[in-house]
Amino acid sequence: MRFILQMAVRETRAAWRRLLFFFVCIAVGVAAIVALRSVIQNVREVFGTEAKALIAADVVINTTRDWTPSAIEIIDRRLSESGATSRTETISSPTMARPADQSRKVARAVELKAVQPAFPLYGSITLEGGQTYSHALVEHHGALVRPELLTTLGLRVGDEIIIGRAEFTIRGVIASEPGRGMGQFSLGPRVLIDFDDVPSTGLLGLGSRAARQWLFKVPEDRIDALVTTLRGELRQESATARSYRSNEDQIGRNFDRAENYLSLVGLIIVILGGIAVSSVTRVFILQKIRSIAVLKCVGARSRDVISIYILQVVALGLAGSLLGVLLARIAVGAIPLALGASSPSILAEAHYAVTWSAALQGIAIGVLVSLLFSVVPLLHVRFVKPSLLLREESTPPTRDLVGLAAIAGVAAALVAVAVWQAGSFRIGVLVCAGFTGVAVVLHLTGRALVAVVAPLANARSFPLRHAVLHLSRPGNQTRVILLAVGLGAFFIVGIRSLQASLLGEFSIQVSSDSPDMFLLDIQTTEVDLVRAFVTDPASGAGPAQFLPVLHARVVGVEGRDSALDDPLEPPSRGRGPEGARPRGGPLAREFTVTYRDHLEPNERIIAGTFWRGASPDAEVSIEQGIQERSGIKVGDTMRFDILGRMISARVTSVRNVEWRDSRNGGFMFVFRPGALDQAPQTFVAPLKGPADPAARARFQHDLVARFPNVSVIDVHEILETVRDVMRKVTFAITVVGGLVLFSGALILIGAVAMTKYQRVYEAAVFKTLGANTRTIARMLLFEYGVLGSLAGLVGSLGAIVLTWGVSRYALDIPWRIFAGEHAAGVLLTAVLVAAIGVLSSLDVLRNKPLATLRAE
Amino acid sequence: MIELREISKTVRSGDHSLTILHPLTLDIARGQFMAIVGPSGSGKSTLLGLIAGLDAPTSGSVRIDGVDITRLGEDALARLRGEKIGFMFQFFHLIPSLTAYENVAVPMEIARTADIRRRAQSLLEEVGLTLRAHHYPAQLSGGEQQRVALARALANDPPILLADEPTGNLDTATGRYILDLLREIHRARGTTIILVTHDAELAALADSRLVLRDGRAVE
Repeated sequence: MRFILQMAVRETRAAWRRLLFFFVCIAVGVAAIVALRSVIQNVREVFGTEAKALIAADVVINTTRDWTPSAIEIIDRRLSESGATSRTETISSPTMARPADQSRKVARAVELKAVQPAFPLYGSITLEGGQTYSHALVEHHGALVRPELLTTLGLRVGDEIIIGRAEFTIRGVIASEPGRGMGQFSLGPRVLIDFDDVPSTGLLGLGSRAARQWLFKVPEDRIDALVTTLRGELRQESATARSYRSNEDQIGRNFDRAENYLSLVGLIIVILGGIAVSSVTRVFILQKIRSIAVLKCVGARSRDVISIYILQVVALGLAGSLLGVLLARIAVGAIPLALGASSPSILAEAHYAVTWSAALQGIAIGVLVSLLFSVVPLLHVRFVKPSLLLREESTPPTRDLVGLAAIAGVAAALVAVAVWQAGSFRIGVLVCAGFTGVAVVLHLTGRALVAVVAPLANARSFPLRHAVLHLSRPGNQTRVILLAVGLGAFFIVGIRSLQASLLGEFSIQVSSDSPDMFLLDIQTTEVDLVRAFVTDPASGAGPAQFLPVLHARVVGVEGRDSALDDPLEPPSRGRGPEGARPRGGPLAREFTVTYRDHLEPNERIIAGTFWRGASPDAEVSIEQGIQERSGIKVGDTMRFDILGRMISARVTSVRNVEWRDSRNGGFMFVFRPGALDQAPQTFVAPLKGPADPAARARFQHDLVARFPNVSVIDVHEILETVRDVMRKVTFAITVVGGLVLFSGALILIGAVAMTKYQRVYEAAVFKTLGANTRTIARMLLFEYGVLGSLAGLVGSLGAIVLTWGVSRYALDIPWRIFAGEHAAGVLLTAVLVAAIGVLSSLDVLRNKPLATLRAE
Repeated sequence: MIELREISKTVRSGDHSLTILHPLTLDIARGQFMAIVGPSGSGKSTLLGLIAGLDAPTSGSVRIDGVDITRLGEDALARLRGEKIGFMFQFFHLIPSLTAYENVAVPMEIARTADIRRRAQSLLEEVGLTLRAHHYPAQLSGGEQQRVALARALANDPPILLADEPTGNLDTATGRYILDLLREIHRARGTTIILVTHDAELAALADSRLVLRDGRAVE
């Protein structure tokens, strides 16, 4: 052991310049991991806080009925079991508000919310005019209202309004509130009152539309289990439970995607670092072969020699990792400085520090990865024969079972590390599968390349001829560089494309041209007048689309094979008249339907054909999801009850609706124009309202004043909340993606630069034989250029497959190809590799050859 | 006592097989100073490598003190070399990352010999390199490197010293100096020395000679 220790120290001392690369690779890799992990953890905390602010709690339980004693008993029991720390109750109800001043005959639909002193558990209510929120503001019949209400009703702070049977004094104006970002439509501006004042309004009587919510703070690790238990137990009570993490809405899903993406990035940094380490170790061992033969000649056993280098690798891995943690601390500490105080980013809100868990994880990964990636090259030590000192000879390839077993063991360990790092079995395995696939392709490409360029060995150009010979000579680095660089390009381009994909996905949701105002209940006779009002430039609103809407129930589906019975159909329901079966399950509710002669941009037909023009024969196009759940097919005839009128319509097509992009709404059932023209209907107009809040309020006021039956739903505030959050997430992802590109490139530079040591001797001999610096530089340029282009090409093509797999199976987003990213990937890789190849050999090109020849 | 019985070495070169050493039987007594001579490619170094267990013969056996080393595994061979055989090469083959002192100490460290420091220093003194102990091979001349290699070969005081063209890379005067050192060691320690050379003048200094040509013993 003492000998092994002494030798490890001596080897490190002697080769410290070369080992510096190894050391730096590990340090950069670990720094990237630790910095990323820490930033991810810091940012996740903010994600968590943002997500919690969106529902104002950790866990929310909803019901539209009164709490039954059994429901309360279940909730109390489960919450005390899970150690809930605080709770508060709210009641929300759509209702009407009107000025207390009887002379003013206006009224406005509002969203009433009654809160207790503990509300909100997360986030804060901000009021206009610098007023600070406290529950005292709403106590004893106080109310806080949105500015739109003041404008539409012509009121001011201090005025009184009547809600139900009670009078309230307006004591402040709400600028923003938590718990209002979950994408639900609201029927009107928010009015916030005290929970204790609800009974006085009389809104809780029979037929009440009030919804009750319990909001809870629960320890982080108990949330998921609690929600699952409550969901099961409260099903009978018609209550639902959800957590801030529940991804039942777009925002929740986006948070999940962002987190998955960040985990993936952490994993890929580790793999890139590993590739570099492997490449460095291989070169190091190749250079040590003669020394190893000498050690064996003077009595050292293979395992002694392997132990020397393993010890060295572990020590360097550990030291590199510690330096990496230090670098990460510096980098993470610099983030707030780099962002500046005014940056509107989620990163600016996070508290920055290297987390202990990230540091330990980074060190563990650094040592583990250096060890794992070194084991296979180190096993080569066993085949170094001391007879090498007498006669240069290549070891004949033998079947190496130990080597194969080691490779299998290392592969399994790496998959485990990948799964651990990705925090998801699926992503870990997907990435490893991609890694293996690309490695195999790169290996085959290397062989093919050697065969394809072989004829060029007779080229007239000296540099070209020798570049080709280098690619195919014994002990060439063709496959090694292809593998390291190709895998690097694969991951970097993959990450860039995924980032573009993810951000593209988010941008649809934050696009500023989405309608943020909906006009409802426009009568057929008013359509032209309302259109004229909206399009008047003085209104400040964007163009509106007028969609006819009808309320319909599905009564039955005819002409269906009974074997295709809807499994969701309740057994108690019998057959309807004329053999038609009333459908339960997904069809048992009222649908808002429309008719039109065109498809919206977010729709495409996946079965049947969409009609052209109007027809008196009723035809209907159904949405893909409802088609899948109900089993209805093209050719079936559906019977609808449209406000008492029975209409039979043949299903002629199935539509896929991109709900993420439902700017103009999405409909489950779209009818062919003609049959429904005379049915009772109203129009809905989605539009983009004026941007200025005052103009917006005036627009609503004027519209309602002129068309009293038209309701206005303003989703501007909700959209803004969503946009704000998504903008923050987007920024965080962009920064992290940039970090990957930077550190990945740095690691690859190290890995390629290391290969120069195998060029040094040759370059010196060429110089001795009369080759000038330019010739040698061109030789290197050809060789590395070809390798870089090929590696970039295979890596970029592989990245297409990676993005497909990850988009589809891990991030759950539509797959898109970003040709620009892939083309740039190929080009930049070629240029980078060629440049490093030449630049790293600059000292050889400049220096006198004798020193190199002597050293070798 | 070294006993070679019908040892031969054949290597494959592409599709052909090439016999470097034809079956040879030879006994080398303890304390003998033997020279193996012959032109380049005659199989001298191969024979030396087979005696040291650096290479495996295609057929035949090599016995050292009664032990058939062709039956030993790599690790056992390594131990045997560490204890019984010192080796010098034409190209010195010092470990470039170690100083002269460390190069000499390595065999003793592997064999876990006692008093390594003092022994290594005394060996360096014996070859006249006390002042160069902490220099790296790249900082030493060819002759100095070969003297370090000799000190390393003697580190564990092996009964057998094998030298493969030890003066082949040195100027005449330095070569003579190395040879004098070898003779002195042979005289003082009674070490069995087998010297490979193609220099007939050097070979004349040995007790006995084996002449190889095209892999066969001709004298």
